[in-house]
Amino acid sequence: MILDWLLPVLISVALLLAVAGMLKRISLWRAGQPEKVSFFSGLMAMPRRYLVDLHHVVERDKYMSKTHVATAGGFVLSMVLILAVHLFGVENRWVNYALLGALVLMFVGALFVFKRRLNPPSRLSKGPWMRLPKSLLMFAVSFFIATLPAAGILPENFGGWVLAAVLAAGIVWGMGELLFGMGWGGPMKHAFAGSLHLAFHRRPERFGGGRSTGLKPVDLTAAKLGVEKPTDFKWNQLLGFDACVQCGKCEAMCPAFAAGQPLNPKKLIQDMVVGLAGGSDAKFAGSPYPGIEVGKAEGGPNKTITEGLVSPDTLWSCTTCRACVEECPMMIEHVDAIVDMRRFLTLEKGSTPNKGAEVLDNLIATDNPNGFNPGSRMNWAADQNLRVMKDVKEAEVLFWVSDGAFDMRSQRILRAFVKVLKAANVDFAVLGDEERDSGDVARRLGDDATFQSLAKRNIAAMSQYKFQRIVTTDPHAFHCLKNEYADFYPEGQKPDYEVLHHTTFINELVKAGALSLEEFKGGTVTYHDPCYLGRYNGEYDSPRELLNELGIEVAEMERSGFRSRCCGGGGGAPITDIPGERRIADMRMAEIKETGAELVAVGCQQCTAMLEGVVEPRAEVKDIAELVADALIEGDAPVSKKNGKQAKPNADKRVAEEIL
Amino acid sequence: MSQFDALFQPLNINKLTIRNRIVSTAHAEVYATDGGMTTDRYVKYYEEKAKGGCGLCICGGSSVVSIDSPQSWWSSVNLSTDRIIPHFQNLADAVHKHGGKIMIQISHMGRRSRWDGENWPNLMSPSGIREPVHRATCKTIEEEEIWRVIGDFAKAAVRAKEGGLDGVELSAVHQHMIDQFWSPRVNKRTDEWGGTFENRMRFGLEVAKAVREAVGPDFVVGMRITGDEFHPDGLNHDDMKQIAAYYDATGLIDYFGVVGSGCDTHNTLANVIPNMSYPPEPFLHLAAGIKEVVSVPVIHAQNIKDPNQAKRILEAGYVDFVGMTRAHIADPHFIAKIKMDQVDQIRQCVGANYCIDRQYMGLDVLCIQNAATSREYMGLPHIIEKTTGPIRNVVVIGGGPGGMEAARVAAERGHKVTLVEKADELGGQVTIAAKAPQRDQMAGITRWLAMELDRLGVDVRLGTSANADMIRDLKPDVCILATGGTPFLEQNPEWGAAEGLVVSSWDVINGVVEPGKNVLIYDTICEFSGMSAADYLAAKGSMVELVTDDIKPGVGIGGTTFPTYYRSLYEREVIMTSDLMLEKVYREGDKLVAVLENEYTGQKEERVVDQVVVENGIRPNEALYYELKAESRNKGQIDVEALFDIKPQPVLSEKGDGMILWRLGDCVSQRNTHAAIYDALRLCKDL
Repeated sequence: MILDWLLPVLISVALLLAVAGMLKRISLWRAGQPEKVSFFSGLMAMPRRYLVDLHHVVERDKYMSKTHVATAGGFVLSMVLILAVHLFGVENRWVNYALLGALVLMFVGALFVFKRRLNPPSRLSKGPWMRLPKSLLMFAVSFFIATLPAAGILPENFGGWVLAAVLAAGIVWGMGELLFGMGWGGPMKHAFAGSLHLAFHRRPERFGGGRSTGLKPVDLTAAKLGVEKPTDFKWNQLLGFDACVQCGKCEAMCPAFAAGQPLNPKKLIQDMVVGLAGGSDAKFAGSPYPGIEVGKAEGGPNKTITEGLVSPDTLWSCTTCRACVEECPMMIEHVDAIVDMRRFLTLEKGSTPNKGAEVLDNLIATDNPNGFNPGSRMNWAADQNLRVMKDVKEAEVLFWVSDGAFDMRSQRILRAFVKVLKAANVDFAVLGDEERDSGDVARRLGDDATFQSLAKRNIAAMSQYKFQRIVTTDPHAFHCLKNEYADFYPEGQKPDYEVLHHTTFINELVKAGALSLEEFKGGTVTYHDPCYLGRYNGEYDSPRELLNELGIEVAEMERSGFRSRCCGGGGGAPITDIPGERRIADMRMAEIKETGAELVAVGCQQCTAMLEGVVEPRAEVKDIAELVADALIEGDAPVSKKNGKQAKPNADKRVAEEIL
Repeated sequence: MSQFDALFQPLNINKLTIRNRIVSTAHAEVYATDGGMTTDRYVKYYEEKAKGGCGLCICGGSSVVSIDSPQSWWSSVNLSTDRIIPHFQNLADAVHKHGGKIMIQISHMGRRSRWDGENWPNLMSPSGIREPVHRATCKTIEEEEIWRVIGDFAKAAVRAKEGGLDGVELSAVHQHMIDQFWSPRVNKRTDEWGGTFENRMRFGLEVAKAVREAVGPDFVVGMRITGDEFHPDGLNHDDMKQIAAYYDATGLIDYFGVVGSGCDTHNTLANVIPNMSYPPEPFLHLAAGIKEVVSVPVIHAQNIKDPNQAKRILEAGYVDFVGMTRAHIADPHFIAKIKMDQVDQIRQCVGANYCIDRQYMGLDVLCIQNAATSREYMGLPHIIEKTTGPIRNVVVIGGGPGGMEAARVAAERGHKVTLVEKADELGGQVTIAAKAPQRDQMAGITRWLAMELDRLGVDVRLGTSANADMIRDLKPDVCILATGGTPFLEQNPEWGAAEGLVVSSWDVINGVVEPGKNVLIYDTICEFSGMSAADYLAAKGSMVELVTDDIKPGVGIGGTTFPTYYRSLYEREVIMTSDLMLEKVYREGDKLVAVLENEYTGQKEERVVDQVVVENGIRPNEALYYELKAESRNKGQIDVEALFDIKPQPVLSEKGDGMILWRLGDCVSQRNTHAAIYDALRLCKDL
């Protein structure tokens, strides 16, 4: 019979072609810059990373998760058994049944893929991806029928050469998509690149429940700083781009995309793919960068990305909110890539747009982004009698003030926090004029040289003094101090302190009974998770617990927690100020409004500034420190509510000190 | 940061860090009690400023150091006794708690006081020359007394220090004893305390030395001086630069406060606290001139009311600190509102000088527009809290200052407020007052209220005449009538109001009648309205005689405001006549004849004029009140005991049917803007 000899040939050819394609693909990645990875242990860890870590992300969408388990699981199992049955001629009734079962599983999964493709949401890419469910079905059905005779369910030669021809055609189609396509850039490329991407991921700390969000430092002695061409990326970054399944979950979460700014993270990754392989974006079948037509972009491995492939405006639209990264089922690192490309634009080309260059100049000259007299850093606290490290040398807590010191609105947050610290008798001190900008904005704008200079000088300032913890009201400084400064400690030294956001710290104080608070008396309250507190550092609970302590039941927004939407203020986006159709902060405020909240609690002065920039009428914006300070009850021995004891009867007098 | 960065640069005076550049400079509060002690009202008044963010408060303008410098007749602060120390501690704590700093001005007022009361002292001055403003005769101070007073200064400074205050300011301004010695106009001595520059400087120098020795090097000792006395025979700007440089060179003085103008005549006194007729910061150049020659910070107040103005002055570097004293009387939360980005919500001083004019009458300083100022101790709030009780439907009839304040406070409480005003604009009588020459800034009082009503979403219905049915249709829980009054021209039928022989000052200022060529104004009220009518007509070219039956035209206007009227009226050749009553007006041809009678002799005089204007105050518009009174739940009554105690009106917590009806302002009886606003605030703060 025909299939008996045709099938092994077809399978062998498909496998050979697939391998050839894969080798070609691997050579494209290898054009990238070297990056040390642990080759063997990465490969060993891969199945677990796939089955646990990645599945954990996919599992957020139950429909897709089940569909993928059935389809991919069915396919992988089928493929192994197909090799056994149809290539190596294993003749075992149970193996045949197992293969039939696997194909049924794959078929059922593929049906759901097909169903979803009937009316796909806009975030999904179309093009070859519309063909994929049909290919999957064809593969499953063809092999199913072709396996029936071997399983003894149908007689040999059933259907004669006509059926054999039909099945052969189906199998060619199916394997063409699933094996040949895997090696040669079809939709199934994701399976091959994706699994290797998981094995050689640049941030292995992310697997096993970990978190890795600090940017990688630039080697300032390198010949070229940042990424100009696709081949300037690390090889495993290029590999990561190829893992993209174009599901568009990133697109659906991207605040810049929603605001109509020219950024679509999915398109960006696909443009990187175009770049690494060479060609144009003409075949891209997803949503464009808002306002930029698809089909005009061209790139190649050694062509400058921002000359023809990706507009600089696209790169400068990003708020670095990490919503795309958080959402990506393939764990691709969009923000790293964007900042890498920004680094080239800023450090090599000096083309940071709009206020960007001015802000960087200010940071270089004055250690703060707005060019204020560095000597005025402590003006906000002229009447606060704060202890300064220079005088006291040692304190339990270093209060990292951050550049909110220069901003009148933020000063109210700082003063509120000081009031809380004083009420709880915390032993704290500030660096005063020795503190500098954390470098957050410089780093996100691509100026790693300025960031590193600020970091090193801040580290030198801190190293003179003894303290156990740093507490800050600024999630951006929090992130830098906690996740990015360790790279810049002198040889042999490392941070010997804990870094906390003020909401975490105040929550501790409240739990320890160090503060007595009265109930919040206002109306409905919602909470906005700052990106650099939430997604960057995983702190979702302390702010909510604190609000709870105040008697506030948070009216959650649909986009909250790890899916919180950026205020628009991160990554230097308000500075580079790329025009869109609407403002991110307005969209966020609309979401706040949907909860019916009269007040939105925040934990970040940048968020406060952005949200308060929304025209009234709108919800009032208050930092949690302000809410806590407002609720403080004056009394010499505060008693925790948790102990079941009431504060002293005379403690109903509110602390009179105003936060001005 | 903000456009107001210049305000928020801390600066040290000696070793004392002042958190911003805004100072409430020394002024007499007239709040001290118990023999010159800084008690509850005084403390709360300054605490509110500190709470509101003011950098430095210098309290106690002209607080006395000696028992022969009287203080009781104007309730000033008395540093001549150790009794003051615990009171100062209360004061210092209250201000420091909010991050503010507080100093006190100390002085021996010499000849600039009243002797008739308290200890009945002989007033003393370098050469015994009478001071006209206080009608104060005095003796020539003797050497022994000089040294005793110097010692009193030192003792007083120590009391301030022991009381925890941050410093003292030596008053060498307003013709107190130190500058009485400086000024050759009043220092005619030939001994070592007069004559040459060095000799005239000696008393102040000895005071500074004694004080510095007593308080040590780190305690702030400042000096307030004039920038120019504006007397041909007094100290001019160059003299003052020489004096300032002289004291600065001693290193004893930590800052200089500079005031433009001398103060010992009625006319110069008006310069010192410039009212609304002055341009902004009229004497800044004098302070800047002093800053040129001294090495320590310079503070300057005088008609600086706006944050932009303060910022401009500071950015240009004219002075180091800006005094915004009246600005803080009108709104002690001035700084807080800048910081909260609520500059539009600042209740800005309009320069009506109700505060200082009361002080010169020995009455407590009050703000014409902010009734909470200095009544913090009674529980009158600057920030109105939202009610936790029922939300009421409040209808206010009348959009003058009283009605607007009532609507504002009710809206701040969270009630649903409707304000009905007959005219096409808000403001009531303030709008009329603001149409007179030099009085345009009066409109700021109601402009702020109008902005607040807009911000608070009050339903304002202009051009709407209220009647009883309309009010019933609005179904108010509380109806507040603030319908004002109407010029009272009918008091004497012989004036011929019915025949149209006389017109009101409102008609004149509103432009309802054309200015006559030759006008007689008969003013029984002797406050702003008659003077303004005269000023208005004279400015339009009328020949005006302003006649009153009182002792002098404008006698009811305070000491810093009648001089600016007089300057204008004399300039325009307005004739001011006292002691004549208007008997009758009759027509003769195309002229009017006004018959006047001298109150003391009965002698009659006649004036032949084109126009007779009568300013006889107003009668309340009370028809609507009497129409609604019977059906109201409270029969229109206000519980005055609760009102005066700043307690909620009992009717608010009692069950009952029908609306609560109150009336306030001139529709009850004519008083003034402050009275209407005060009643509105105390009635509505617990609504």
